[in-house]
Amino acid sequence: MQNAKDTFYTMLQGRLAILNPSRTRVLRGVVRPATLVDENELPTAWIPLDAFRLQWTRLQVTSASPLPLVEMECSIQYATDGSSGNGGMDRGRLLAAMDAELATALAAEPHTVAKMNYATAGAGVAPTAMGTNVFWADPVFGAASTVGERMERTATVQVFANQEAGEL
Amino acid sequence: MSDLSVAAARTADVLLRALGGRTVMLRTPASAVPADVTEQLGIATPLFQDLPLAPVAYRKARATVTEGKAAKWEMLVSATTVEGLVGSLAYASASVLFAAAYGVLCGGELLEIVSATQEQVFGRPYVYRLILRAPLAQGV
Repeated sequence: MQNAKDTFYTMLQGRLAILNPSRTRVLRGVVRPATLVDENELPTAWIPLDAFRLQWTRLQVTSASPLPLVEMECSIQYATDGSSGNGGMDRGRLLAAMDAELATALAAEPHTVAKMNYATAGAGVAPTAMGTNVFWADPVFGAASTVGERMERTATVQVFANQEAGEL
Repeated sequence: MSDLSVAAARTADVLLRALGGRTVMLRTPASAVPADVTEQLGIATPLFQDLPLAPVAYRKARATVTEGKAAKWEMLVSATTVEGLVGSLAYASASVLFAAAYGVLCGGELLEIVSATQEQVFGRPYVYRLILRAPLAQGV
């Protein structure tokens, strides 16, 4: 199921980067698209703003078939303080823009992508394609919450994949 | 640079040494690798570099540890040392150095940096104050 998580993340990061190439973050001297998986980053006390943060929460494995069906819940959190040049008065518009980007990226066809194995990948080395696909449902957007000047929202997506023989 | 600000920095160094003057290590990750997706997937991890910070003095900032919350520490760091690191490693500023750092290694224990502030005299920092959080495993 790790391969399904990796595949879904790279698919979503790629689609979001195409929709808004200017949504980037600087991480240890390198500019990257502002989509990240919390569990893969160094623990920090601060929350990255204007970025999509993925967390893998629920997990269910249905082993009735030869290829067990794995159902995972991906929680996508994003927050903004607005832009300082506008005194933060545009924070609602910026949150709405992130809502639209995420909804468009996940609604784009196809709703499926070939599962990839990134264990052997590296700089300049492509991942290996596997025999099954990763697919997902429409996202469910939670209520926007306000903490001080910060607006944030969490969307959840159900991600499905078949567990292949020998796959961890 | 004012003579008074230099004197304040030297006085702070003397006081920090008098209070124990410990040496700790600032653990900083190496630069990220461009176009390497494995770092973003948790497969490859960055190399870490330990930079010595001395003299420093620290104390427990959260006296009563509440259940499930780790202890917090307050560390005073010599501005002279920090300025030396910022200059030699070509960081833009001390705040960038502390923001890039993963934590502070104190006697084999890695403490996470929660915040970094500075005290100034005539526009020049004479001491840096770090708020550090102990690992959650050491919570009550």
